[in-house]
Amino acid sequence: MMVEPAERPISCASCGGEVADAICAACNALQPPGQIDHFARLGVDRSYAVDPAALERAYFAAQRRFHPDRFAGRGAKEKTFSLQHATLINEAYETLRDPLARARYLLELEGRPLPGGDGQTIADPELLMAAMEWREALEEAETPDQIADIARRLVAETGEVEAALGTAFAAHDLDSAIHEALRLSYLVKLGSELKRRRAPGLARI
Amino acid sequence: MAYSDKLVDHYENPRNVGSFAKGDEGVGTGLVGAPACGDVMKLQIKVSPEGLIEDAKFKTFGCGSAIASSSLVTEWVKGKSLDEAATIRNTDIAKHLALPPVKIHCSVLAEDAIKAAIADYKAKHEKA
Repeated sequence: MMVEPAERPISCASCGGEVADAICAACNALQPPGQIDHFARLGVDRSYAVDPAALERAYFAAQRRFHPDRFAGRGAKEKTFSLQHATLINEAYETLRDPLARARYLLELEGRPLPGGDGQTIADPELLMAAMEWREALEEAETPDQIADIARRLVAETGEVEAALGTAFAAHDLDSAIHEALRLSYLVKLGSELKRRRAPGLARI
Repeated sequence: MAYSDKLVDHYENPRNVGSFAKGDEGVGTGLVGAPACGDVMKLQIKVSPEGLIEDAKFKTFGCGSAIASSSLVTEWVKGKSLDEAATIRNTDIAKHLALPPVKIHCSVLAEDAIKAAIADYKAKHEKA
C-alpha cells in the first residue's frame, strides 16, 4: 500500500536512493513522515463523506504498517520516524472520524476556518435562537421521558445537519458548510449537556 | 484554580436573569454565541423614553464565567445612557471578576452582547 505518494523526500534518509513511498523500496528503511493532510495520511479520499468502517480499516492498516514495535530492531532514526508516523496517524484518525472535527478540518484546508476560534463570537440570530431553545427545553425537562425525547430529537437533527454538511462540501458550498458546522457545534454541546443531565457531576465554572 | 469571590457570587446568585418581550418598543435584544465552547448569551435592555437603560435582563447558557460576565453587565448598564453603556469593555469585566486568562473570551461575549442589544434598540428606533 502506498500511503504517502505526495511530497516524499526525493532521496532515502538511509541509503540515499530515490524513494516514492514511506518505506524505501531499495533498502527498506522507514522515511520521516511527509507534510501531507490527514486524508492522504490514511490513504482515503479528501471528502466530507467518509465511510466509518473504511476509515477504521485504513487507520488500522496504517497503524500496523508504522507501528513502533515493527521498528524496534532498527536504528534510532527509524524508531523516531515510526513514532512520528504513529502519532500523526492517530491525530488524522481522531480528526476524520469525528463529524464536527472533520468539517472543521476540511474548512481549514479550504482556507475558511470555522468562526469562533480565538474566542471570536458569532451573531447569527436564527442559529443562536435555535441553540437557546434547545438549551431551554433541556433546562425545563423534568422527567426521564422528556429528556429521552430531547435526546431523540437531537439524534435526528444531528443526522440532518451531517447530511447537509455532506451536500454542502460535495457542492463546494463553503458558506453553507460553515453554517451547518456551526449548527453542529451547538448540537454537540447540547449532547454533552444532555449527558451531564443524565449523570450529574460537578458544576463547571 | 481559585476563582474570585465576585465571580463566584455572580455565578451562584446571578442578577437579572430572565427575559423581556422581544417585540416591545423599548426593548433591545442582543444574542451572541461562542461556538468554540457552545455558549449562547441573550442580553436585553429596557430603555426609557429619555434614553436611559432602566432595566436589563440576561439568559446565558455557558460556563460560570460567561454567566458571571453577563450578570455583571446587566448590573452595570442600569441607569446608564446607551452611549455610556456602549463604552463597557471586556477588559473592565475581566478585571472586575478577576477572570483567569483562559476565560477572557467569556467577557468578550458579554461585551458583544451589550453592543448587540444597543444596536438592536437603535435599529428599531431608526425605523420608527
